[in-house]
Amino acid sequence: MIDLADVSYAYPDTDHYVLSHVNLKVEPGTVTGIVGASGSGKTTLAKIISGFIPHVDGGELSGSVVVDGATIADVTLSEAVSHVGLVIQSPFNQISGAKFTVREELAFGLENLGVAREEMAERVTAVAELLGITGLLERSPYALSGGQQQLVAIASMIIMNTPVLVMDEPTSQLDPGGTRMVFDVMSSLRDAGITLVVFEHKLELLREHADIVHVLAESQLIASGPSRAMLADPRLEKWGIGSTRFTAAAAAARDRKLLSKDAELPVSLTDAVPEFRAFAAKKGA
Amino acid sequence: MSSTATTPADSKKTRNRIFIAVGTIIIVATYLYLVVGQPTDIAASSFSQSGLIAIAGYVIGAILLAVGAIHRLPTATVAMVPVAIALNIVVGQLVSVIGIPVYLDSIGTVLVSALAGPAAGVVTGILTNVIWGLTLSPIALPYAVVQVVIGVMAGYAARLGMFRLFYLAPVAGAVTGFVSAIVSAPISAFVFGGATGGGTGAIVGAFQAMGNSLLASTTLQGLLSDPLDKAIVFTIVVLILAALPSRFRQRFPFMRQYNVFGRKAPVLKDATAAAPTVES
Amino acid sequence: MSTTLFDNRKSVIHRLNPVTKLIALLAIIVIVFAIPLWWVAGIIIVVIVVPAAVISGSGGRLLKLSLRILLPILLVLFIVQGLTFPGGTTVIWQWGIIDITSEGLLFALGVGSRIVVLVLASMLLVLTTHPGDLMSALSERGMSPKFAYIISSTLQLIPAFRVRADSILLAQQARGLSLKGSPFRRIKIMLPLLSPLVLGMFTDVEERSTAMEARAFGSTAKRTALIPVPDSTVQNVSRWVLIVLALAAVATPIVLGLL
Repeated sequence: MIDLADVSYAYPDTDHYVLSHVNLKVEPGTVTGIVGASGSGKTTLAKIISGFIPHVDGGELSGSVVVDGATIADVTLSEAVSHVGLVIQSPFNQISGAKFTVREELAFGLENLGVAREEMAERVTAVAELLGITGLLERSPYALSGGQQQLVAIASMIIMNTPVLVMDEPTSQLDPGGTRMVFDVMSSLRDAGITLVVFEHKLELLREHADIVHVLAESQLIASGPSRAMLADPRLEKWGIGSTRFTAAAAAARDRKLLSKDAELPVSLTDAVPEFRAFAAKKGA
Repeated sequence: MSSTATTPADSKKTRNRIFIAVGTIIIVATYLYLVVGQPTDIAASSFSQSGLIAIAGYVIGAILLAVGAIHRLPTATVAMVPVAIALNIVVGQLVSVIGIPVYLDSIGTVLVSALAGPAAGVVTGILTNVIWGLTLSPIALPYAVVQVVIGVMAGYAARLGMFRLFYLAPVAGAVTGFVSAIVSAPISAFVFGGATGGGTGAIVGAFQAMGNSLLASTTLQGLLSDPLDKAIVFTIVVLILAALPSRFRQRFPFMRQYNVFGRKAPVLKDATAAAPTVES
Repeated sequence: MSTTLFDNRKSVIHRLNPVTKLIALLAIIVIVFAIPLWWVAGIIIVVIVVPAAVISGSGGRLLKLSLRILLPILLVLFIVQGLTFPGGTTVIWQWGIIDITSEGLLFALGVGSRIVVLVLASMLLVLTTHPGDLMSALSERGMSPKFAYIISSTLQLIPAFRVRADSILLAQQARGLSLKGSPFRRIKIMLPLLSPLVLGMFTDVEERSTAMEARAFGSTAKRTALIPVPDSTVQNVSRWVLIVLALAAVATPIVLGLL
């Protein structure tokens, strides 16, 4: 669904590459997580996949970027956004401002494309149901919580029927409740057949929702693997990403020989529960 | 180049040029007619007609200019205009509350003109007054043309490099203020009879008492405040430009093409601090 | 959540097509300026503006808001023109060196009546028309979607902008900064207050334009609207009648030789 081959990029008027020789393949219908320290180029990579680089930011881009069968550099931005949607950090900045109700806000992109009124109305209803925001349709987009606004932003994207959705740290400006809301809709999106690429700091939640995780460090996608194995990898510390408290606790337990040497480390609470059960049972016996 | 530049058909480009040309001609003709063609503003009947001509000529001219200009704006500029208008209005109101004897209600317009050119300034200018009319007072609507003039003048001042040196900006501002005072005077005179506010009204009265005509009095009143106001506004804009990250500035083709800010910026340390990798 | 003066009610006036109201406003303004008789403005106020305001149910707010704008202007107008009108010869009241002329007062009456109509009629439009509906209606008639975007977006941005300005101001005052002293000193205090506000808003623009592009704002397709703007044949006919009336008003003084 996404195929990046040997992609390098430098911003205009700079002489250093933010990304160099990046390769990425994403299968359709999967949720891909990408983790990386601040400044590792996450936003840059998100913009490359979604076509804003090179179409808006300019700069020097080499290698090939193919999304949903379209070579992004060769099509216009208007066409690129029909293949891949982008959700950014700030919920506030994603509200168009041009509309006074959520219902119209959702339809904004479709109006721009000139979609017929009846079809728009149907798609608004369907998308609102998928994301569970039907109750917000008549509210002002500015009168919503951050999490709700982010759901509206996601809905405004997927209503465009883009098969791929890139999310650039969609929860970094949200409270825990809002973060939960956003991660919860990811499963609905995957069930709807949308391919997701999520740039995220929250390792525990990523573990629960991503199928595969890539690590962005030293201007490259330096490692990848199934979410549990990758997110528990001790090298994440070195790359400035850190580890969850469950991984850290289990690693400490392993160091003290409380866990077997080849035990798979947990990332989230869900991973950890069986481990703790087994450990407690052993202790009890 | 942004992909949103829609490369419209040539006919559309020609149409927009005609709008801009006709709009400009109407505005200039309106002013000349009111100043040269109406030597006496004593007869009440012709005076009222002058009010109609002032509003109609200026409003139609400003709308034509804005319609011709808006098609040239890429999305990045369109997204900036609301921020600029909000800046005009919020600062304008804040200043009037604090009681400084200037308006400072065109910082956003001048800033947009400097970043994105006269066309963007025109759109920001006219819509500032439309929104002022929608939110505060309809008195602002007939004056829309004044902000349009400020946008155009600031845009061309930017092209001429007046924002490159911080002591040239107030000069350009004063000239802009001079023109905007002249353009706004017929509105103040023929539509509002000189009474647009307490302080300004008293000054108009004083000039009339000295034997000036109403139009001359509103013109003189404008010349007392506008050049100073715009000189301050242009200076503030230079300071804002210096403080904006250079990467942000470089996003605007107008800024790059005319080297609006110059390479030797007065407050370069701010720019380099914000974007250390950008060569300066 | 928005800064507009829109007074949300369900009256007939509120439900009119916004373009009808806009054309009515323009026609009224043209008529009162074209026919230089103060009582024409008076008749329009009594026969059109006041009944419309009463029907709309927004009359009270209209009165309050308009008086706040009009009172200072009218006061200054009558005082200044009564005293200093250049064509004033007939002195009707004298006290020391101050004399009020009847020409000056008549002039003020003429100008003042037109300003009253201008303010009342525009305010009524603003009070009874949601800006979103006005934008949809104008877009339907071919106005560039960029205008609609800028106007709607600014209206919703201003409250957010004010909140930021207030929080910055409060933070500075909490640090013991007072906004007193000479105007020059106040400007010197204002500038550093403004810069974080302004820079923050402008650097946000990059994200906003990204989000708009991602939703095909740059598309060249012919746009459609989710919600249609209600209209009727009666309104369509009235709009043309209003246009004809306005043109007739422009011609009247010329025909009657009032000029």
